[in-house]
Amino acid sequence: MSHKAVALKEEGNKYFQDGDYKEAESLYSQAIQKDSTNPKIFTNRAMARLKLQSWDACVDDCIKAIELDHGSMKGYYYLAQAQLALNHPNEAFSSALTAYERCIETFDNSATAVSNLVLQAKKQKWEARERERIRGRSELLRELEDGLMKRKKEDLQRLKFKTLDFSEEAEEKADIELECRKKIEELRNIFAVADPKNMQRREVPDYLIDNISFTVMHDPVVTKTGNSYDRATVMEHLKRSHTDPLTREPLHMQDLRPNLALRQACEQFLTENGWAVDW
Amino acid sequence: MFASKRLGKELTKIHQTLPPGISLVSASDFKEWQMDIKVLDANPLYLDQTYRLRFRFSNNYPIEAPEVTFITLSSPSRTVPTHPHIYSNGIICLDLLGTQGWSPVQNVESVCMSIQSMLTGNTKNERPPGNEEFVARNTQRPRDIRFVYEDATV
Repeated sequence: MSHKAVALKEEGNKYFQDGDYKEAESLYSQAIQKDSTNPKIFTNRAMARLKLQSWDACVDDCIKAIELDHGSMKGYYYLAQAQLALNHPNEAFSSALTAYERCIETFDNSATAVSNLVLQAKKQKWEARERERIRGRSELLRELEDGLMKRKKEDLQRLKFKTLDFSEEAEEKADIELECRKKIEELRNIFAVADPKNMQRREVPDYLIDNISFTVMHDPVVTKTGNSYDRATVMEHLKRSHTDPLTREPLHMQDLRPNLALRQACEQFLTENGWAVDW
Repeated sequence: MFASKRLGKELTKIHQTLPPGISLVSASDFKEWQMDIKVLDANPLYLDQTYRLRFRFSNNYPIEAPEVTFITLSSPSRTVPTHPHIYSNGIICLDLLGTQGWSPVQNVESVCMSIQSMLTGNTKNERPPGNEEFVARNTQRPRDIRFVYEDATV
């Protein structure tokens, strides 16, 4: 049975490469009917379903593949992508992190792509928090504005009980309107100024930036020169040349040490400044 | 991989500030840029001259070195500077541009500065040995040529 499954999978791969994801998915499904214990067929179908944007079905395949093989990097990688598309940032973040760990263990070529996915998930988490924050803030603002409007109405009501001639009444009305408008304007200004996002310049400190990719680091490692790089990008360089990027002295994968303090600094910065992922 | 993101950031920085004598001519995409460089001191070999460098980037930049050569133009007038490490077809023999000497922490600005200082320090008004033959025969791309770096002082 299983050799038939493998043949069907191979055929599916051909369709996949030609961009016919629908047909590829159907061949992978037939392969799974013959052999439902091969995690690779599930991850292949998951990839086809990613292309077809069938996110939920992709999630199912990934979970199945991970059940069959806990070490499945691709299972977690595709799972994270689908979860990101479904706007489940917390789940996507944890799946992407697991995929990243698997990549590092096996020096997988996808390390930079997976590392980038971790950052994207982080950004989505930040965006969700930002939306909450802005919503909360504008609710408070609206409440205060409503209060001022109510007060204005009351003031206008009170005018009617005063004995004023026509022009005096018009004058007082205008004053009340003007004062209310001024207060609302000032209130809005205060809220705008108090919003740190309007004040802060969107800049990433140099020490959080990987000197190879020029992006914020997610897993910084330090070389013996004391310089830190993102693990995924320096790995790309070391595949080509076993040299320290700065001094060109010999440098090997096993010489790299994690820079935990810097990692925390990067994490904290991204927690507060999710936009920096795309910076 | 991350070539376009990284080049985009280099470009932002280049638009803000560049060292004296180096200027950006064109960077309409992330495949090819042109830069002008001038030698700033009174070196008589390059006095009042501006030279045009062409950078070509692969998708693997900065893991792979860019291809950097001098180009010749009639308007504005740009020639290939005379230097014992620069062939008359514009190919530059500089270790940091080769596969062995390149490092991903280098960038367009630092390459321009290295080439600028290579010109500044030169006193020999000559081409590399075997220039005519090399120019006539070479069909390799610059980064694939295995130069022998005989003299680290020039």
